[in-house]
Amino acid sequence: MRVGQNPAKSIDSVPQPANVTVAVVTYIPFLSGYYAQSLDVLKVCLESIWENTSADYDMLVFDNASCPEVRDYLNELQRQEHIQYLVLSDKNVGKGGAWNFIFQAAPGEYIAYTDSDVRFYPGWLAHSLAILEAFPQTGMVTARPMRTPEAFYTATLEWARSQPDVVLENGQYIPWETYLQHVLSLGTSAEQAREWYESRSDWRLTHRGVQALVSAAHFQFTTRKASLGQFLPFKMDRPMGQVRSLDEQINQAGLLRLTTCDPLVTHMGNQAPADIGSRPTPASTRANRLAEISFIRKPLLRLYDAIFKLYYQ
Amino acid sequence: MRTGKNPAKDGLPAYTPHRLGVALIVYIPFTEGYFENSLEIFRYQLDSLRATTGEPFDLLVFDNGSCAQAVSAMQEMYDQHQIDWLILSAHNIGKAGAWNWIFASMPNELICYADSDVLFRPGWLEASLQVLQAFPMAGMIGAQPNFYDVMAGEGTAHLALQENDTYTFGDYWPAKETIDEYCFGIGASEELAAQFHSIPLPAITEQQLEVKAIIGASHMQFLIPREVSRQVVPLPSTKGLLRKETMSIDYKIDELGYLHLSTPESYVFHMGNTVNERLIEEVEHITASPEISAPARQKSAKPSTVQRWLTSLAKHPRFNRLFLRLYNLLFRALYSEAMEK
Repeated sequence: MRVGQNPAKSIDSVPQPANVTVAVVTYIPFLSGYYAQSLDVLKVCLESIWENTSADYDMLVFDNASCPEVRDYLNELQRQEHIQYLVLSDKNVGKGGAWNFIFQAAPGEYIAYTDSDVRFYPGWLAHSLAILEAFPQTGMVTARPMRTPEAFYTATLEWARSQPDVVLENGQYIPWETYLQHVLSLGTSAEQAREWYESRSDWRLTHRGVQALVSAAHFQFTTRKASLGQFLPFKMDRPMGQVRSLDEQINQAGLLRLTTCDPLVTHMGNQAPADIGSRPTPASTRANRLAEISFIRKPLLRLYDAIFKLYYQ
Repeated sequence: MRTGKNPAKDGLPAYTPHRLGVALIVYIPFTEGYFENSLEIFRYQLDSLRATTGEPFDLLVFDNGSCAQAVSAMQEMYDQHQIDWLILSAHNIGKAGAWNWIFASMPNELICYADSDVLFRPGWLEASLQVLQAFPMAGMIGAQPNFYDVMAGEGTAHLALQENDTYTFGDYWPAKETIDEYCFGIGASEELAAQFHSIPLPAITEQQLEVKAIIGASHMQFLIPREVSRQVVPLPSTKGLLRKETMSIDYKIDELGYLHLSTPESYVFHMGNTVNERLIEEVEHITASPEISAPARQKSAKPSTVQRWLTSLAKHPRFNRLFLRLYNLLFRALYSEAMEK
């Protein structure tokens, strides 16, 4: 039975959510192989957000069934109140499942989403919000200029062409170094990057004194929570690979997909940046060269995948 | 940069949530005084929930800014896979604030909410589902007869059924023991108890299925369909536990035309913040009876014997190190060229 009055009834006020929720999804099943440096990468990601975000925000981390070392790290950060909301999921509900969870629950009017392998630089949020304010129809803003297939931003171009007060320009607005850095981070070769860079150009918009480039990507973006509601729930039957539908749906809904003109985030991938003292990469050995031979590589890859599945299950 | 292919992109299945999700809000700011027994009571709740829930479910626990000891206990439960989703909030964002999280995000078709001091009894789910089946427009179904009309007679959704011959309205007199138990649970005064004994509860019966339900539902425990829960958020949340704010869920549900209903029998019990012999006896009875032991956890897909053996081997500390070293060696051998770029 209840004895005495519940002290919770005497709490006069509770913290109100910040206008922006910065949401991070993590999935590091173990610290080996592909994920050997992923905890270091995650640390860089979170620390760079804290160091380089001047606006008021709440930090939300959704951990999609990571290993105990990662959980311990996140639990400690939550205890220190660096993370306002920590969601621990005992099973991997997929990136779409995590998105369904956080995009519906995040309390901020704006959601700044990021994968856990992104590094942030000063001004990333302010510039992203400035674009959202200047272009009210915007569906997502990525804080890094990049090029994506035109099929994902046809609505942006259509809108820009229909607005007399919008300046739409076409040219090479992304410097080669900026372009190369991102493309290399995705595992593409420099030769391929050069070919892509020279064969395409960029679209730039100017409205209400704010410039933005046309394009965006789902690895990092800022948006209004209200804009996302119409696309939820996402399919969530696979851990990854289904989230590109957000890019398509935003375009189909007639919302704009934009980026900042300067690179204010970088994609780290699964390798920690050299400047934070990541582990040295090994030199090629005879074993490495053997692993390049097709009939040896295939069974090794199968064994490699089989071990991952053991831990995934 | 990214080196190698992310194994998570390999077409593996993501976890598919069960039909039923149970969400509990915990707030234990310290472990003395009013909250001295709260952790123990919370454990009783979890034990009773697992023992009496007749179908597999996902368990979400929302910790609303509890003390380190309570958070640590919940993290341990999570590590032992007793909790499916653990949300840790750095601060108490109010009961309505936590509801906003739960009702906006839980992916399950049916969501059972309960305060962290509610004991579940055998049949709670079946009785609740029976009411839901008979009254598809039910938005909130409590597993205990509702004695206190939080809307003070202002609810109107049930009036729409008065012209429908399928339903009959009438009074319901709960058993004396049911009233006594309710009064005991909330620590009711003698005057209040006498009032509950002297006034019948409004009831509605669905004639075809012959299912009776009490009109009204309590905030301490209820079942809410996901399609309803998504429509009631966000709720205002400025205080820790303000009736006006938690009541806003009732007004929204009623405005949407959904019914507040509860079962005529008590399938849940408000344990409050004290432990006594009677409670311990009941918990022991619930958790010990084999006939009411439920399939508390469900595996999504049954792996083969070899898979199970390998998975358990991989968790063994010695083999775990071996497997991960092998995995690391393979990664370096397969992707060394990319790493050197």
